[in-house]
Amino acid sequence: MFTGCGVVSGQNQYLTRDAVRPHPGLEVNRPIQLENVVTAGTCSIYQGQAYSNAGQPAVVNNVSNTLKPVTLPVAPPALKLGQEGFKKVCRTEEDSPCPFPGLASGVLEMRVKEGSKIRNLMGFAMARMQGEKGVSGGGLRQVVFTGSGRAVTKTITCAEIMKRKVGCLHQLTKLRYKVVKEVWESSEGGASEMTVHRTVPSISILLSKDPLDPQEPGYQPPETLGALWEEKEGAEPASQTACKRPLGPLPYSSFPHCKRVCIGEGVSVIPPH
Amino acid sequence: MTEPRNPSMSSVPQTAPAHTDSSSSVVEMDPVEYTLRKRLPRKLPKRRNDVYVNMKTDFRAQLARCQKLLEGGGHREICVHGLGLAINRAINIALQLQASSQGALQLAANTSTVELVDDLEPEDPDEAGEPMTRTRNNSAIHIKVFYPDTQLAQ
Repeated sequence: MFTGCGVVSGQNQYLTRDAVRPHPGLEVNRPIQLENVVTAGTCSIYQGQAYSNAGQPAVVNNVSNTLKPVTLPVAPPALKLGQEGFKKVCRTEEDSPCPFPGLASGVLEMRVKEGSKIRNLMGFAMARMQGEKGVSGGGLRQVVFTGSGRAVTKTITCAEIMKRKVGCLHQLTKLRYKVVKEVWESSEGGASEMTVHRTVPSISILLSKDPLDPQEPGYQPPETLGALWEEKEGAEPASQTACKRPLGPLPYSSFPHCKRVCIGEGVSVIPPH
Repeated sequence: MTEPRNPSMSSVPQTAPAHTDSSSSVVEMDPVEYTLRKRLPRKLPKRRNDVYVNMKTDFRAQLARCQKLLEGGGHREICVHGLGLAINRAINIALQLQASSQGALQLAANTSTVELVDDLEPEDPDEAGEPMTRTRNNSAIHIKVFYPDTQLAQ
């Protein structure tokens, strides 16, 4: 699947922002192609659209092709840039608008990275949320945890730990793709440089001591510690179907199935959080 | 696994100093070796529109399954669940679905903590090791992928 998928071949334009936002007139094969990117995980860099900063793709192509005319098709893509003497010079995340519109500017944002230590993150965040001892303010009201790529799991873990420790936190979770720009430089030539854009999934979790809009998708009310999947998952679809069925057209084949869910979960579900 | 244990076993019958040796090593590790067996996560609700994402199944197959549920299966919403490492994949699937729907689908993500149980079984029944269990927590994500139009129409 990856053979011949050279960094410089420029065949992967679909990795650009089209992947982030819905775009009319997609190619038919786009979902499959995109999927390569995500499954590949770390490999996705190398499939990315590669071009030089200043809009001189020809230069980059020439340089790279002369550098590695033979090995290019053979080398596995995951190792290519590193193997071929390219070094990652810098990695910048493109600024994206705050996923939580209407959020006060002074909110503490914890950017969780792959190598961040949870104890460091939590030590800092908990101190800020709980406030200093003796100060009557009681700390911050809200905190945002964001992380992308392999840091997503850690981000969720941080939020979960904080929810457990602080308690009574309203949560809003947002998912999206984030565009990361990487600049790679050839260590041999020194002159050649290429920029790789790739999209990585990212998560933003807002935890708030104050109530949030429950209608917002991704909202989670503060809940008891013991609340596990059943209750929560049961509550969701039951309330959904309960309010949906009278409103909209009936779902086609799922009607009896939905009904069963309502009956099964109805009892435990009724008290809202 | 057996490498570190064999020398200590051979030295035990020989001399007393070996005992002191092994007792001093207790500080860093328990002398009996255990096999760690991870139990499966506890039973979870399985409706027809629940998709539990794992890392063993091919990504494309799981994505295709979700697409089939939404398009062919006639479901207005599906729930994509991921635990631990599979969180990333679950998010990817959800975002892919959203991207390929050209904005028609919305995502609502919830997170939770799942308690997992590990069994520790002594490797060698001769050594006086008690079977133990250990619990730990892992994070999980539940993403509802749905068409919002019924709400919008109102």
